[in-house]
Amino acid sequence: MKNESTVVERIVTTTDSGTLSRYWIISAMVGLLFSSVTGLLVSLERIDLSAANIFSTADEVFQFWSAHRVSLVLIAVLPLMIGLATLVVPRQVGASRLVFPKMSAFSFWIWLFGALIIIIGFLANGGVGTPDAGSESQSVALTFVGVLLAIVGLCGASASLLTTIVAGRIPGLALLEIPAFSWSVLIAGTMWIATLPVLAANVVLIYVDMRGREPVNFGSEQVAWEQISWAFTHPQVYLWVLPLLGVVAEIISAAFKGKPSNALLAISIGLMGLAGFGAYAQTYFDLGTPVFEEAFSIIHAFVAIPYVLFFIAVIASVVVKNRKQFDKRAITPIVLAALSIVFLFQGVIVGALHVIGPLELATRSTVTSQIVLTLGAGVLAFMAAFAWWGELLTGKSISQQKVLITGIIFHLGVGLFAIADLLVGFTGQNDFTGASEFAAGTDSSNWGDALNIISLIGSSLFMVGVISAVAVGCQHAFSKTPAEGNPWDLETLEWTLGEKEEVA
Amino acid sequence: MATVLPPAPLNRPRTLVVGTAFITSAVLMFFGCLFAIYFSIRSDTMAWGMEWFPENAISLVPGGMNMATLTVSVATMAWAVYAVKNDDRVHAYLALILTALMGIAMINQTVFYYMDIALPIDHSEAALLLYVITGAHLVMVGVGVFWLGLLLLRAFGGQDTRRHRDLVSAASLYWYAMVFIYTFIWLFIYIGK
Repeated sequence: MKNESTVVERIVTTTDSGTLSRYWIISAMVGLLFSSVTGLLVSLERIDLSAANIFSTADEVFQFWSAHRVSLVLIAVLPLMIGLATLVVPRQVGASRLVFPKMSAFSFWIWLFGALIIIIGFLANGGVGTPDAGSESQSVALTFVGVLLAIVGLCGASASLLTTIVAGRIPGLALLEIPAFSWSVLIAGTMWIATLPVLAANVVLIYVDMRGREPVNFGSEQVAWEQISWAFTHPQVYLWVLPLLGVVAEIISAAFKGKPSNALLAISIGLMGLAGFGAYAQTYFDLGTPVFEEAFSIIHAFVAIPYVLFFIAVIASVVVKNRKQFDKRAITPIVLAALSIVFLFQGVIVGALHVIGPLELATRSTVTSQIVLTLGAGVLAFMAAFAWWGELLTGKSISQQKVLITGIIFHLGVGLFAIADLLVGFTGQNDFTGASEFAAGTDSSNWGDALNIISLIGSSLFMVGVISAVAVGCQHAFSKTPAEGNPWDLETLEWTLGEKEEVA
Repeated sequence: MATVLPPAPLNRPRTLVVGTAFITSAVLMFFGCLFAIYFSIRSDTMAWGMEWFPENAISLVPGGMNMATLTVSVATMAWAVYAVKNDDRVHAYLALILTALMGIAMINQTVFYYMDIALPIDHSEAALLLYVITGAHLVMVGVGVFWLGLLLLRAFGGQDTRRHRDLVSAASLYWYAMVFIYTFIWLFIYIGK
C-alpha cells in the first residue's frame, strides 16, 4: 500500500530508535555549538583588552557565563549521551527497539522545545537570573519554563531506556551480563531519574515564586542561579557523563579482544554513579552540623578518585593481558576513549581540590576548569563512540582519520581551556560572581593575562572542534560509501541484530 | 505422528509496570526535594524563634478529609486490580469509577480550601512551599484521574481483561505513590504545621 504521509509527518511521528538517536545527536551538536559560542564570548571578556569588551554590564556577562554551563549540560552533553544510548542500548540487550518508542519520541520533541525556549530565553535578556537583577523578568521566567520542559524530556527518555534494559532484554540475558555500555546507561539513567526531578522541583519553586507579586525568596533573580547551580558543577557533572565509562570499557575490551570481569566493571561504574550524586549540595538543604556537612563534602569529593582509578585498573588489566591482540584498525576510538578517561580523571582531581578549604578554590575559575574537563570528557567519549558505532548511526562507512583529527582538535581545546582556567584560579581569579567582579576586571598580573589568553585559545579550539565534528557528521550523512556491516568483525548483539520496523 | 507444539511465549517482565515504576520514582524524588527544602527552611525559621505558619492559618479538617478519601481510594484501586485479574468486569468498572470519583473529590476539597484559606502565596516561604507542594500533588492527582478515565474507556471497550491487566496495575502503582506522598503532606504540613 502506498505510504501517503508527508515528509514533515514522517519526521515528527517517527518512533524508530535509530532515527530518534540521530535527532538527539544532531540537536545536541547544535546545542554544543551554542554552548561553545557562549564559552568563547566569556573567555574573550576575560582578557584584559579594551577592544575585547563585548559586554556592557556585569549582568550580560553573567547571562552568557551561566548559559555556557546550562546549555553544556542540558542541551549538549546529556542529550548526546541519551542519543547514543537510544541507538546502542536496544541493540545491545537484544530488544531491537525501545520498549516505549512513542514515549521516547514525545520526550525528544518536548526536550527540543524546551532547549529552543532556553536559547530564546537567554538571547532575550533572560537566562537563569543575574546577581544584580538586571535581566528581563519575563525572559527569566521563560528560560525556567524551557529548563523544566527539557528536564521532562530527558526524564522521559531516560525512563524509556531504563525500561528497555530492565524489561526489554532478550530472555536469558541476565542483568549482570549486559554489555558495559548498557550497564553504564542503566546506572546513569537511574541516577538521572533520581536527580533531574530534584532540579525540576527547584525550578518549579523558582518559577512559582517569580510569577507571584513580589518574590518571597526562591524566585528572586539574585538567588535563582545559586539554587540550581549544584546541577552544573562537581560532583553532579560526573553523573551527566557516566555512560563514557561504558564507552571506554566497550571499545578497549573489544579492541584488545579481552573481557574485564563483569562484576568488577559493574561495581566500578555503580560506585562512580553514587559518587556523582550531587542533588544534596543545595542552598536550602541542611545536612546537619556544619562539621558533618564539611566532612561529608570532603569524603564525597575524594571518594571519586579511587573509584575512577578502580575503573582504570579494571580496564588496564585487559590492556596488559591482551596487548598483543590489539586490533590496529581501532586506533581512533582507542585514542579518543583514552583521552576521555584521562580528562575525567583530571576533572575528578580538580573537583576534589575544591573542597580543600585552605586552597580557597571553591569560588575560583578552577570550577570552570573542572566542568570543562568533565563534560569535555563526555564529548570526547561520544566522538570515540562515533568512531566505533558510527556505521550503525549513519549507515555509512566511517572515516576514522577525520574523526581522529576532530577529536584531537577538540582535545587540545578542552585541555588548554581547562588548564589555563585551573592555573589562573590558583592565581586568585574568581569564577564569575557578580558586578564587583566585573567592575574589578580580571587579574591584572602578567600571569593572569597570559593564562586568560591561553584559555581563549582553548575555547576557540573547543569551538573549532565542535564545528569540525558537525562537518564530519554532515559529510558522513551525505557520503555515498555504504557501511561495511560489521567493521570490527564482532559477534555482539548490536552488530548482528537487525532493526525492527517502526511502531505504527 | 509427532505433534509439534508452538513455541512458548517470551517470558518478559511487565514492561508497563516497570516503566511506571521508573516514572513514579522520578515523581517521588521531585516531592522528596520539595519536602527536604520545606524541612530545612522550617527548621531554620523555628531555630530563630520565628513563626512558620500564622496562627490558625492551616485547618486540619480539609487535610484530614482528603487523607480519609485517599485512604479509601487505595482500597478501591486494589479492588479494581483484583477484579481485572479475575475478569470480573462489573466490579472493575465500579472500582475504577469509585477511585476516580474519590480523586475528583480530593481535587474539589483542595481547591475549596485554597479559596477559603487566608494565606496569600507571597506571605512567606512557608506559604509558597505549602502551595507548591499541595499544588504539585494536585496535578499528580489530576494525572491519576485522567489515567483512570482512560482505563475506564478501555474497560468499556473490553480491553482490560485478565491478559491485559498491566495498564491497571501500572495505574495502581502510580495511585499508591500519590497517596503515599499525601500521607507526608497530611502528617507534616497539616498536622505538624
